Amino acid sequence: MKDFIEITLDGISKKVKPNTLISDILPKDTDHFFCGGKGICKKCVVFAKGELSPLTKAEEDAFDKSDLEMGKRLSCLTRILGFAEIKTQKQGSDKICSQTIFPKYQKENQFQNYGVAIDIGTTTLAMQIYGRDELLCELTAKNPQARFGADVMTRIHAAISGKAEEITLSIREGLSDLISEGAKKANIPLDLIDKISIAGNTAMLYFLTGQNVECLSRAPFIADRLFGETVSFEKLSLPTKNAEVYLSPCISSFVGGDITMAILSSDIKEEIALLSDIGTNGEIVLKKGDILTCCSTAAGPAFEGAGLSMGMNGKEGAIDHVFIKDGKISCHVIGDTEPIGICGSGVIDAIACLLEKELLDETGYLEDDEVILSGNVYLNGSDIRMIQLAKGAVRAGMETLMEVSNLSSSQIERLYIAGGFGSYINEENAKKIGLIIPCENISFLGNAALCGAAMILLSKDGRKKAEEIAKKAKTIELSDNPIFSEKYMEAMIF
Amino acid sequence: MELLMEISENLQRGKSKIVKELVQKAIDENIPADKILEDGLLSGMAVIGEKFKNNEVYVPEVLVAARAMNMGAELLKPLLADANVKSKGRACIGTVQGDLHDIGKNLVKMMLEGKGFEVIDLGTDVPAQKFIDTAIEQNCNIICLSALLTTTMSVMEDVVKAAEKAGIRDKVKIMVGGAPVTDKFCKEIGADYYTADAASAADAAAEIC
Repeated sequence: MKDFIEITLDGISKKVKPNTLISDILPKDTDHFFCGGKGICKKCVVFAKGELSPLTKAEEDAFDKSDLEMGKRLSCLTRILGFAEIKTQKQGSDKICSQTIFPKYQKENQFQNYGVAIDIGTTTLAMQIYGRDELLCELTAKNPQARFGADVMTRIHAAISGKAEEITLSIREGLSDLISEGAKKANIPLDLIDKISIAGNTAMLYFLTGQNVECLSRAPFIADRLFGETVSFEKLSLPTKNAEVYLSPCISSFVGGDITMAILSSDIKEEIALLSDIGTNGEIVLKKGDILTCCSTAAGPAFEGAGLSMGMNGKEGAIDHVFIKDGKISCHVIGDTEPIGICGSGVIDAIACLLEKELLDETGYLEDDEVILSGNVYLNGSDIRMIQLAKGAVRAGMETLMEVSNLSSSQIERLYIAGGFGSYINEENAKKIGLIIPCENISFLGNAALCGAAMILLSKDGRKKAEEIAKKAKTIELSDNPIFSEKYMEAMIF
Repeated sequence: MELLMEISENLQRGKSKIVKELVQKAIDENIPADKILEDGLLSGMAVIGEKFKNNEVYVPEVLVAARAMNMGAELLKPLLADANVKSKGRACIGTVQGDLHDIGKNLVKMMLEGKGFEVIDLGTDVPAQKFIDTAIEQNCNIICLSALLTTTMSVMEDVVKAAEKAGIRDKVKIMVGGAPVTDKFCKEIGADYYTADAASAADAAAEIC
């Protein structure tokens, strides 16, 4: 057998070892592996022809005859045996999610020359580089860990099944690349970066530091490390030889340092307010006077496009807004192209429109098998059910926090929505489908975690405040909470 | 019979109070308890189960229907015991150790009860041995395992192994389910049945017994 075989990937020739999985040669920042390579999510489709391993049962189920004739394969299940031509599906670029909105604060740089703020999101990495007087550059990149699974739990599972080192290496490489690229863009030497402030959820910080994630994998879910500490660049294998790295303090195993940072940067002035980061994991914080109560709900990936039959990320070709025009359902597509799928903000709008047109009733029953939104893009009955679970979880999380604090939604003075996805949703439609409480004052925070991480660099007492927040905040476990179960059932209804 | 039909219809709409009244009325009219159960309550749940499978109704509707069924079944219990009516079979159910999710598990439990099974609910975070001990002590035909986390579904394999070790593997069928579970996984760990939803789980259980 030959040591290497030549193949082409998107027209570029490449040498690979025989028997290599196609998924292993795709770009590392690819976001195709929602199920971590189990052949379940069917999102890693490529077009491949040549000497390949035989079709698996999962692929036969996933594709119809015309798909197979076109050469569609699941890259996580297909091995390269000899010469092959492989084409990936075209991907547009992501919308930037590094928008930061600062509160008023006392500025006092905590670095000498340059400081770097980073948010390690489960899906996206975002970074800003600060000079003494200004923001020099901001960059985002895919979290390279995505190939170990789209959600935190799948990655934790991969880690405890022997991939821990690989996962740690991949995030360290991802951060190193991002920082190096940023320094180049800002035209500064890496050695003059003397402070790095990193926000991230608990699992992300575990992976980054190489901490054993066993304790995050099962009940009672008690984290044995909550960070809020300084480590050296060497420990994290970062290329910044003079940087001290600060890791944001986490509140609990599933309410992480990103939320602490979001609370810090939101600078909530109201007496009673809710803060929610709506994503795969919806973290929610209730502030009542001096008390902070938090929870984490597993909304699932429906709002990030995964799991729905035509779901996708918010990139070119995605329906991102749906509205009713002249009595008909109309769609806006990112990049104004032919629609190829639907992203989270589009999903929320679409449901609101279907309810208004009475094509969908409040129990989630869809009159027809599927509703075409535009072109070939549709939502079907099981998509609706998945969305009900997702929005029900977020809403029920909010309702549970209010109930345990003896509050009703009318007492919530303001709802803060953090996170990239949150900033794109239509407020009225989010209320109409029952994703969020009917609160009159809503503020969108953008990437509040990144903003908080930057405040650690730029303000005198940012670190102290963050650590106080993390210490003070209490977490409620929802999965076995009877109040949550009841609220969840109610919140599934539209 | 019209009264039993009325019970079934009200159960499907989740009208637990009316279901309770109608069951009492049926008892007073000397309709045999097993007939009220079969043609009133269970037939109503069967309709809900079928609709659930077809995405026509969802978790909340199943829940209220099951609540109505339980209200009616409470009244029938002593009569059924007197009449020596046998249950379809006995199952123990629980969410595996390390996992606290119980909504999916509860749905399966309700659907099984809707098929006339006796179900012993072990709750959540249940150690493998507990399933085995219960199955032996209570003489269960089926062990139902639920897991919602990728990280906890591997515990299901421990239960299969524990059943082998205890020498009861040929006496019980092991059913697995939950969001991350697949048919492939079920086969890999040597469990007997995987179904994608609660109603299909109850159908599979009915076929076993």
